[in-house]
Amino acid sequence: MPSGYHITEADMSKTFFIDTSRCTACRGCQVACKEWQGFPANKTTQLGWGSHQNPPDLNCFNYKVVKFSEFKIKDRVFWNFFPDQCRHCTEPPCKIAADAHVKDAVVIDKKTGAVIFTERTKKISKGGFLQMKEYCPYNIPRRNEKSQIINKCDMCLERVEAGHIPMCVKTCPTGAMSFGEREEIVARANTRLAVVKKEFPEAALLDADSVRVIYLITHKRDQYHNNAMMEKPLKDASPA
Amino acid sequence: MKYTRRELLKMAGAGAGVIALGGLGVNYLVTESYAKKLKIKGAKEVISICPFCSVSCHFIAHVKGGEVVSTEGDPGYPVSEGALCAKGSTMLSMINSDHRVLKPLYRAPYSDKWEEKSYGWMIEKVARRIKDTRDKHFITKNAAGQKVNRLDAMFHAGSSQMSNEEASIVVQAQRAMGIVNIDHQARI
Amino acid sequence: MTNHWIDIKNTDCCLIIGSNAAEHHPICFKWVIKAKEERNAKIIHVDPKFSRTSARSDVHIPLRSGTDIAFMGGMINYILANNLYFKEYVNDYTNAAFIVGPGYSFNNGLFAGFDPKNKIYNKKDWQFELDEKGNVKKDPTHQNPRCVIQVVRQHYSRYSIQKVSDITGVAPDVLQKAYDAYAATGKPDKAGTILYALGWTQHTVGVQNIRTSGIVQLLLGNMGVAGGGINALRGEPNVQGTSDHAILYNILPGYLPMPRANMPTLKDYNKLTTPVSKEPESVNWWQNRPKYMVSLLKAYFGKNATKENDFGYDWLPKLDVAKSEHDGDASYLYFFDRMYRGELKGGSIWATNSANTLPNTNKNRKALANLDFLYMAEIHQNETTEFWHGPGVDPKKVKTEVFLFPSCHRAEKEGSISNSGRWALWHNKAADPRGKSRPMGQIMIDIMKEVIDLYEDEGGKFKEPIVNLNWYRKYDAELVSKRINGSFTSGEKKGKQLTGFTDFADDGSTASLCWILAGSFTDEDGNKLKRRSLLQTPMQKSIGLFPNFAWAWPMNRRILYNRAAVDKNGQPWDLARAVIRWNGTEWEGDVPDGGAPPMAKKGGKSPFIMLKDGLGQLYGTGLVDGPLPEHYEPVETPVRNHGFSGQLSNPCAKIPTSDLDIIAPPADPNYPIVLTTYSMTEHWCGGSETRNVPSLLEAEPMIYVEMSHELAAEKGIKNGDPVIVESPRGRVEAVAMVTVRITPFRIQGRIIHLIGMPFAFGWTKKGIGDATNRLTLWAGDPNTSIPEYKACCVNIKKADKVTELA
Repeated sequence: MPSGYHITEADMSKTFFIDTSRCTACRGCQVACKEWQGFPANKTTQLGWGSHQNPPDLNCFNYKVVKFSEFKIKDRVFWNFFPDQCRHCTEPPCKIAADAHVKDAVVIDKKTGAVIFTERTKKISKGGFLQMKEYCPYNIPRRNEKSQIINKCDMCLERVEAGHIPMCVKTCPTGAMSFGEREEIVARANTRLAVVKKEFPEAALLDADSVRVIYLITHKRDQYHNNAMMEKPLKDASPA
Repeated sequence: MKYTRRELLKMAGAGAGVIALGGLGVNYLVTESYAKKLKIKGAKEVISICPFCSVSCHFIAHVKGGEVVSTEGDPGYPVSEGALCAKGSTMLSMINSDHRVLKPLYRAPYSDKWEEKSYGWMIEKVARRIKDTRDKHFITKNAAGQKVNRLDAMFHAGSSQMSNEEASIVVQAQRAMGIVNIDHQARI
Repeated sequence: MTNHWIDIKNTDCCLIIGSNAAEHHPICFKWVIKAKEERNAKIIHVDPKFSRTSARSDVHIPLRSGTDIAFMGGMINYILANNLYFKEYVNDYTNAAFIVGPGYSFNNGLFAGFDPKNKIYNKKDWQFELDEKGNVKKDPTHQNPRCVIQVVRQHYSRYSIQKVSDITGVAPDVLQKAYDAYAATGKPDKAGTILYALGWTQHTVGVQNIRTSGIVQLLLGNMGVAGGGINALRGEPNVQGTSDHAILYNILPGYLPMPRANMPTLKDYNKLTTPVSKEPESVNWWQNRPKYMVSLLKAYFGKNATKENDFGYDWLPKLDVAKSEHDGDASYLYFFDRMYRGELKGGSIWATNSANTLPNTNKNRKALANLDFLYMAEIHQNETTEFWHGPGVDPKKVKTEVFLFPSCHRAEKEGSISNSGRWALWHNKAADPRGKSRPMGQIMIDIMKEVIDLYEDEGGKFKEPIVNLNWYRKYDAELVSKRINGSFTSGEKKGKQLTGFTDFADDGSTASLCWILAGSFTDEDGNKLKRRSLLQTPMQKSIGLFPNFAWAWPMNRRILYNRAAVDKNGQPWDLARAVIRWNGTEWEGDVPDGGAPPMAKKGGKSPFIMLKDGLGQLYGTGLVDGPLPEHYEPVETPVRNHGFSGQLSNPCAKIPTSDLDIIAPPADPNYPIVLTTYSMTEHWCGGSETRNVPSLLEAEPMIYVEMSHELAAEKGIKNGDPVIVESPRGRVEAVAMVTVRITPFRIQGRIIHLIGMPFAFGWTKKGIGDATNRLTLWAGDPNTSIPEYKACCVNIKKADKVTELA
């Protein structure tokens, strides 16, 4: 790994912890985000779909979508909820892709570490956008076809700067979502993982080292909405 | 096709000079803020209550120039501590919905359309219908000859959307008219 | 709720039955999760469908809809047969020792005194045996076979685990584990709570469902304690408050019974409705009823209510006496039936979507067209406001004159609402009402003002209650709130606010619009509904009582029956979770249920002060359909017999008889599938508000039917397919949602399928589907007339063509 890869300043920055073991899929976060951003609704349907997961995926008007996954293990039903959103990677691959096309289309906020897609993303070509999408391990970037702006969760940066917490975190009733200084949040995530592991031995934190949105899951990754949308853990990947 | 992080970094490193990982580091960070303007800055905060389930989560309405510009949970209510569900999160859209009925409407017998009417006209007409119906159908005795002093020909289907004070007013009026057919969502 | 939302965190075992708390009261679930994480509480969810509640519970127990009494009866049997009950509590605080009269019997599903012609019981033979002084005979040794605990034991001895399993569809080992887990709370230092909602009330055995929880909670000593109680998660925004204020045919504000035709004078009313107890330790709080009634009349009619005119008692309407299951019932069930028969001329529907949310929608929509006039107050157009041009309706044939007043959003007016835990909470006005919308209170004031003027100008039939009304000029929530608390109307305190219940008098010197809220708005402290202080004593803090936030009736008591949370010496059963405590001279903690000292002290009183005899009723004579809950099938059922008795369904169920009230016979092969209906997280009830919020419609865009993979395979239905669901009453198009969360039930050795549908969708929003309630039936609980939305019989098929779904 090249030297200088780890950005120590970013470690002081903000981080989310999303404890899916506490999530009840009330979708307060999904809707509150939309409401705060002032986004219009997408036309959704159950025909040919038949799921509570609506809209089916993230889009330029939904920075956050709660994903549902149901399955049975030995007659016991499980229903896993996953409030999906941009992970605000500490070294965001989307920026790597974007930088190659338009400078400062994707920036990182120094104080928080938030990965921000600016209005300059408008200028990114179709190919550049596809590349951003391909680079993103979580399939996050979306383009508003009308304005051509590429967008995704902005960490409610204006709220955070004014001392508020992001809207989704504010709205969460069960403590499934928290937000704060990275060090504190990582510690909280590890403490919680130890507790949850007692009930769910397969529980894990997802990519905690490289993201600012750390998820705690209780089951295997493929028992969540769509494993293709989530990166495999580093240890599972073939060596470089 | 998705890449693992490691594959990606590998790819980027070999990226024909397009992206040089070595160039990351401090320069990677942008110092200026990209935050949008905070829409609730300087707004008056008024506390109201979500009109749905009986948890009664409180919300803060941010008001500017007499208009509600944003809503979010009120951390001061010890039950919800600032949280809201999907419904509670939409108070702003609900208040400002363009689907709301904003004018008194009247539909004449056998008509196929609504007509806009003044509030005063509506009050007068409704009061007249109530009085005429009551005068015609009020009964003082039931079939068994017992004193009942009631109006069986009218009804009130009311609402748990009312405040306590409104409910008190509505019940007092309905009972004074002699109405016994009274019900609301407590029974459904 | 006997307890309150935050108190759920204090429980050791949370039995959620007949409720989908995480979906329908989403924010409350934080307290369930807290109990689980901080107390290691066990969360048991009993419900036909695996929901978001089940996902966060330790165990989900799917039972066939309508078999809750079998499930709970099995638990009562298990507790008694295995001696798992809390003996000191049962001995001291319940009527376990009371001796039931010799006339009591229970044979083949019927209690003594049934009148099959009128579908009612004569309750004479259910009463307790009295001694020569008129006191109830008791056997503290519990040996008498007619003493309550023996009668209860005998009654539920039939509820064996195998039998319960056979009818509910729950495996025997699952039942046993659940019973063990819940019965473990029958110890002094353990508390179990039962959370229920419309999943229990919306059955023809609804009230008896809830009675089972009363019996279980008393046996286990869970009433009055922190983390315990029977907690009705009220299903509507202010349904607690609007019930307190009596938007109901059968009561007046503060739960005063509505006068009936056999009570022509106030004296008759008081005599027939005021309970008398000779038990020396019983407070029998309702003996004060005459004071509350006179004070209400004084508030209604002001100075025009005088001793000479019986305080205007004559001006209140009187219901007929209940000589049959339907006599004197003016609930939705019967007034919509009379509307359908053309007997009603006009009326009002305010902020409720009757043409979507009431059962058997096809009948109700026709009924509305029989009215001469209808005046409504609504925030959105919906299936009710637009009924005159709905699907299949030719407006040119609908005579009804319709008036629609725009009402404003809650944030556009001030006032109070009461949460499920009885906290009366003030909300402020954030902005002026939009457009020409107004608060519903204002609209009612203006209409009535005009009616009063008309009667004053023109005279008219029986004008006294109208012209003598103590009415308002404009809507001022603060003023109404003040009148709700009440004040002195004469004497040296004239004009002063009442400070509490003990101020009330029956001589006309006090006035109050709702006695239970007395003490909420005093001269000393002002409007306590506005309080926002989080201040608590350490004792209060340990259980999260928050006595200084808002105000809770009665007298700011946060946990009802809290006198049962202590032993006879006033010491908490569990010190770590103390609700109240006698410190030798006074009570500490919550506001105690009555100020009397502990039972063991001189002047001590029994804990259940609202009950006539002061003791918790394991056996109770108050309900119309039996002193003990008994399993009966829903009125429409997929089985021919249930194995507990030969009485298939509740013999007292209220069922209207119009040509559209068609009910399938038991086990009808044309309708073999059980349908249960429910609300949603993303939409509110009938849906007219939330369907018009784009982000909510985006999240739940269309009517669906949840079904098992097994049923889908049988019917050749794939996930996302349009389907048609049919009952004897109607036909509904929906989209199939095929899921592992619904599993087929094994009942009496055969498979019975169940499907579930939400009811939030309606035709006024194009393409999202129309009323699910076209399938459900009008059949009401004998005590409450609440319809059986939770269980009826249907069939389902793949749709070739749909018209209701875009």
